[in-house]
Amino acid sequence: MGADKFEISVNLIKMAVIFLMMIQIVPILVWVERRGSAFIQNRFGPNRVGPLGLMQLLADAVKFLFKEEFLPKKGVALLYYAAPVMALVPGALALASLPLSPTIHIEPFHLFGQLWAGVDGKGYDFAFQGFSINVGIVYVLGISSLGAYSLLMAGWGSSNKYSLMGALRASAQMISYELALGLSLVGILMIYGTLSFGDMMKMQEAALTYGFFGQKFTIPFLPDWGIFHNPIGMLLFASASFAECNRLPFDLPEAEGELVAGFHTEYGGFKMLLFYIGEYGHMLVASALLAIFYFGGYNIPQWLMTLLPVNHIPGNLGAILFALLAHVVLLTKIIFFLWVFIWVRWTLPRFRYDQLMDLGWKTMLPWALVNVILTALWIFCAQG
Amino acid sequence: MLALSDYIFYFLAFTAFFSACSVILVQNPIYSALFLASTMVAVAAIFVSLDAGFVAGVQLIVYAGAVMVLFVMVLMLFDLKHDLDAFSPGILSGAFKLASVGVILGLIMGSIYMSADMVFNSQVTPIPATLDPVRGLATTLFGNYLFAFEVIGALLLVIAIGAVTLSRVRGGTHAND
Repeated sequence: MGADKFEISVNLIKMAVIFLMMIQIVPILVWVERRGSAFIQNRFGPNRVGPLGLMQLLADAVKFLFKEEFLPKKGVALLYYAAPVMALVPGALALASLPLSPTIHIEPFHLFGQLWAGVDGKGYDFAFQGFSINVGIVYVLGISSLGAYSLLMAGWGSSNKYSLMGALRASAQMISYELALGLSLVGILMIYGTLSFGDMMKMQEAALTYGFFGQKFTIPFLPDWGIFHNPIGMLLFASASFAECNRLPFDLPEAEGELVAGFHTEYGGFKMLLFYIGEYGHMLVASALLAIFYFGGYNIPQWLMTLLPVNHIPGNLGAILFALLAHVVLLTKIIFFLWVFIWVRWTLPRFRYDQLMDLGWKTMLPWALVNVILTALWIFCAQG
Repeated sequence: MLALSDYIFYFLAFTAFFSACSVILVQNPIYSALFLASTMVAVAAIFVSLDAGFVAGVQLIVYAGAVMVLFVMVLMLFDLKHDLDAFSPGILSGAFKLASVGVILGLIMGSIYMSADMVFNSQVTPIPATLDPVRGLATTLFGNYLFAFEVIGALLLVIAIGAVTLSRVRGGTHAND
């Protein structure tokens, strides 16, 4: 937890802030979704409640709080109540393990008449990250795969045939696309040779450099992002994360025309909102992973650094501002990818179930294997 | 006074033990499968506390995240009330069941007893601390034990083909496909 009171309190505040980040992004995202989908469909979204309809979500939350709380008559109480809570856990744990800012070093300082100097008098190292685990991506993949249990528990606990079919379809879809997700990441892991997120982002700082049998070609105005080295992997990873989050076009578990509302048919009120928070939490983690692996993460681009020269400010304030700027860069990329999630949802039609399974097993899995082979050849050519 | 890591270990060990006992003691098979998944998660957490982060992550991905999900899915699809009718009553079959359990238990205890001193007294060369554990695992698995690795892969393929074949046998689930 920490060596002394300062470190412990900062870590506790960080954990609370990261968890709240996942929960508080839901009202904003739902507003963006409703207004954005209305914009795509050439209509107005909610624009009555509050300025630009921003208070609509507050009204919805109050409405959900006052709804009747029920249990289906033949429902299994333990599974029915545990499923929405279980939906929050994987998203929150995965988000807590992602580094949302670089590690900064705080020099010893005086506050309240006491010198805070850390464990051996050398100051503290903080990053905007709940906990750092050095096998980062393997942990995130493992925790995300536990999200299938909340679907299964919801489907079984509701004791409703539609819920059960929706839950089984949803979990089958999730485990099929987990394979494509994991294999598409093998390409980028081979290029960077490390499992930890911080090292991967550090390797994406310089200008774009391609190697070819020992010669190096540098393109100065583009950064060394993962997408330029592994574009097939990026497409596969993006598509598989759509399936992992149960978002359109892989929306079949929630298909209204066929399954009423899928595994959350029997849920009303705040329990339904908890499922939504879980789904948006997964979206947040998937967008963050896309930004970290393929788009440079929290590296501050050179033109921004000359515009806002935070590394010229000395001392602790400069370090904190640097971390803040890096975090804002990452947050901008994440917000852009969240908008892409919403944009795709309201553009593409839904897959049929057999088309979905065919795509996962017969198209994406072979392409992920091809990606691994091509990346291996590419690395071999680069080093000669 | 116990350190924090001791408390964490006792909590995880108790969770794993309680979940594993509940697998065989609860009556509902879905709860049984969910408790088995919880055992896998607790064991993965114990792996993390032993600094084996990669094994913990892979355990979560493969075991708890894919295998157990498939188990629970299959249990939800099939009606299991008639399986209790297949339970054979009687003194002779009960004695036979006890005898076979005794044989298996004896084999396990004997093998633990006979290999105990090999575990405690063997000279194990630890991996140098500077080597990344994942890299060490990869070089060992694909270097020294490559043949065993490939053979296990072939064995898994045979198991998959066997499962598909068995379900197509006369009277099986997919016999009329």
